[in-house]
Amino acid sequence: MLEIKDLRRSFGDKVAVGGVSFDVPGGEMTGFVGGNGAGKTTTMRMIMGVLGIDAGEVRWHGHPITQRDRRSFGYMPEERGLYPKQPILEQIVYLAELKGMATSAARAEALELLERFGLAERRKDPLEKLSLGNQQRVQIVASVLPRPAALVLDEPFSGLDPAAVDSMADLLREYTRDGVPVLFSSHQLDLVERLCDRLVVLAHGRVVAAGTVRELREVGAPRFRLILGNDAGWVRERPGIGVLDLDGASALLEVHEAGAEQGLIAEATARGAVHEFARVRPALSDIYREVTA
Amino acid sequence: MNGTRTSGGLPPWALVTRREVMVKLTDKAFLIGTAVTALVIAGYLAFLVWQSERTSDFQLAATPEAVAMAEAVSDAAPGVDELVTVEVVEVADTDEARDLLVAEDATAWLHRGSSGWVFTTESSDESTLGDVVREVVGQQALAENAAAAGTTVDELVAGGQVRSEFLRGDADRAAVADAVGFVFVFLFYLASLMFGMQLAGSVIEEKQSRIVEIIAAAIPVRQLLAGKVAGNTILAMLQVVLYVAIGLVGMSFTPYASFVPDISGPVVWFIAFFFAGFVALACLWAVAGSLASRTEDLQSTATPLTMLMVVMFFGGIFLDGRAAVIASYIPPVSAVVMPTRILAGGIEWWEPVLALGLLAVFAAVAVAAGERLYRRALLRTGGKVSIRQAWTSAE
Repeated sequence: MLEIKDLRRSFGDKVAVGGVSFDVPGGEMTGFVGGNGAGKTTTMRMIMGVLGIDAGEVRWHGHPITQRDRRSFGYMPEERGLYPKQPILEQIVYLAELKGMATSAARAEALELLERFGLAERRKDPLEKLSLGNQQRVQIVASVLPRPAALVLDEPFSGLDPAAVDSMADLLREYTRDGVPVLFSSHQLDLVERLCDRLVVLAHGRVVAAGTVRELREVGAPRFRLILGNDAGWVRERPGIGVLDLDGASALLEVHEAGAEQGLIAEATARGAVHEFARVRPALSDIYREVTA
Repeated sequence: MNGTRTSGGLPPWALVTRREVMVKLTDKAFLIGTAVTALVIAGYLAFLVWQSERTSDFQLAATPEAVAMAEAVSDAAPGVDELVTVEVVEVADTDEARDLLVAEDATAWLHRGSSGWVFTTESSDESTLGDVVREVVGQQALAENAAAAGTTVDELVAGGQVRSEFLRGDADRAAVADAVGFVFVFLFYLASLMFGMQLAGSVIEEKQSRIVEIIAAAIPVRQLLAGKVAGNTILAMLQVVLYVAIGLVGMSFTPYASFVPDISGPVVWFIAFFFAGFVALACLWAVAGSLASRTEDLQSTATPLTMLMVVMFFGGIFLDGRAAVIASYIPPVSAVVMPTRILAGGIEWWEPVLALGLLAVFAAVAVAAGERLYRRALLRTGGKVSIRQAWTSAE
């Protein structure tokens, strides 16, 4: 497990990250979301040790993280970083060697991964000759060699077409199946919702929400949609019930007192037809908008 | 350098060095540039050899009464100018001689005039042959006149000769030392500017493409800097040693062959100074690269360095006397000034040793300061970073 404990970092007077704490459990995909300038990239750079930490610490398997631990991590920086003019296989092997992999093993594994992304026959092409999506695939291959102990990926899905997103997601799931913690940042909330087990929402350098997707969606008063056969105006009078929206026979309600909805149903059925009574869980994007507002 | 090792056995900096060297050695532009420079050096030396061995053949026309003098000129010619051979063409009369000249079958026509001899050419000066003829005819006349006066030429000119002498070395040696000194300065200037620019460029490439973040997460930044400086130093040394070797071997075929042993010692010193000077400057070039965010910024972040290079270039060429002695101890200028002083000769053994020691200290300081700046500036993006910002900012 990767633990982030009260990380802080300022640039001059500007606080980029002001006390961020969260966990990235092994075997789970943790999505890291937040607006531009929320501090995601700064946090990830501090985790990877490429940026100094003002205060706080990063722990790995219960001890303070070392350079050696970080060498075993896979990292994909925000702005894509590989040598534009060097053949792709050559630079993947070079980066794997820097992380301590033997040349032959690095070559074999790199080729296997390139094959999987349909790039094997382009292994001798310089990176800049590839399309942006393919460059992104090469970047991912570079970050998972040698087999990483943890993955820290800054915007790994940006610029990918849906098919590439799927193959990348499949690859990441293989690692989580093996117990590897994966932390990735993204602006694409639908993607995060689909792929992630957990979510950390950052705003202005602080964590404003964290937990599993389900936990986050359960946060706050339960909401129900009620559609009746006739006017629903009377629901305003029910105790323990808040009305968020009312439109003729249809109402969106919030239950403030546990059990208050039972009395409501009883009255509704007594008054006439009930066409719908359903729990409404907020979309991740609604939660995101609420917590970062 | 810490003990981080890769499973392949090579420390990270050596992997970086290997990449730097391999990328250059497979770069066509670099290979072609090196080959062209080597060819230019070899070609220039071959030209010197050709020039020195090129003999000029002249045809000297002479009517029967002048043949004896023409023969004397022909015999004495190689003694006066070793690159001149004279062939005597006997002609029947004045008209035939004129025809030969007009037809350019003879270079000149030697004949008696009202007083002394006349050296007639078609229209051009033919000073090379003319000088030989004047010398030989003059000697001949002098000898005849001396004999007529009952004395000898030696007696006549006794006590009137002026001989040149040099307190230190000789004129040829000094000229060769000047020329080789210029070559040293130029080679250093060229190599440190070229490889320096390349090094700075490759630092920017890594910074701009952000691959540096991946590398910095894998290995200490210090090892990246060490590897890059080592790689470029190896390439620069290989190139300079190649050029110098071609130069020395080529020179041994020229008339300056006798100077090759004299130059060999200073060449070894030059390479030692080149090494220390290059390492120091390479670190500074890497810093210049790390301060820039884009290639366009390099011109301004490298300005102090390019100015330093120009100062070193002109200092190496123009400084002499006391100024040269002082400059030969001041790093990094000493990297070019001391080798030229060694070439000129007349210095004590400890002088280059001291200068090299000071240069090595400077290199060590440059490496340490360079590392600090490089480490801090490398991960800062968004415009240029000033040296002060880089020095004082947190990592």
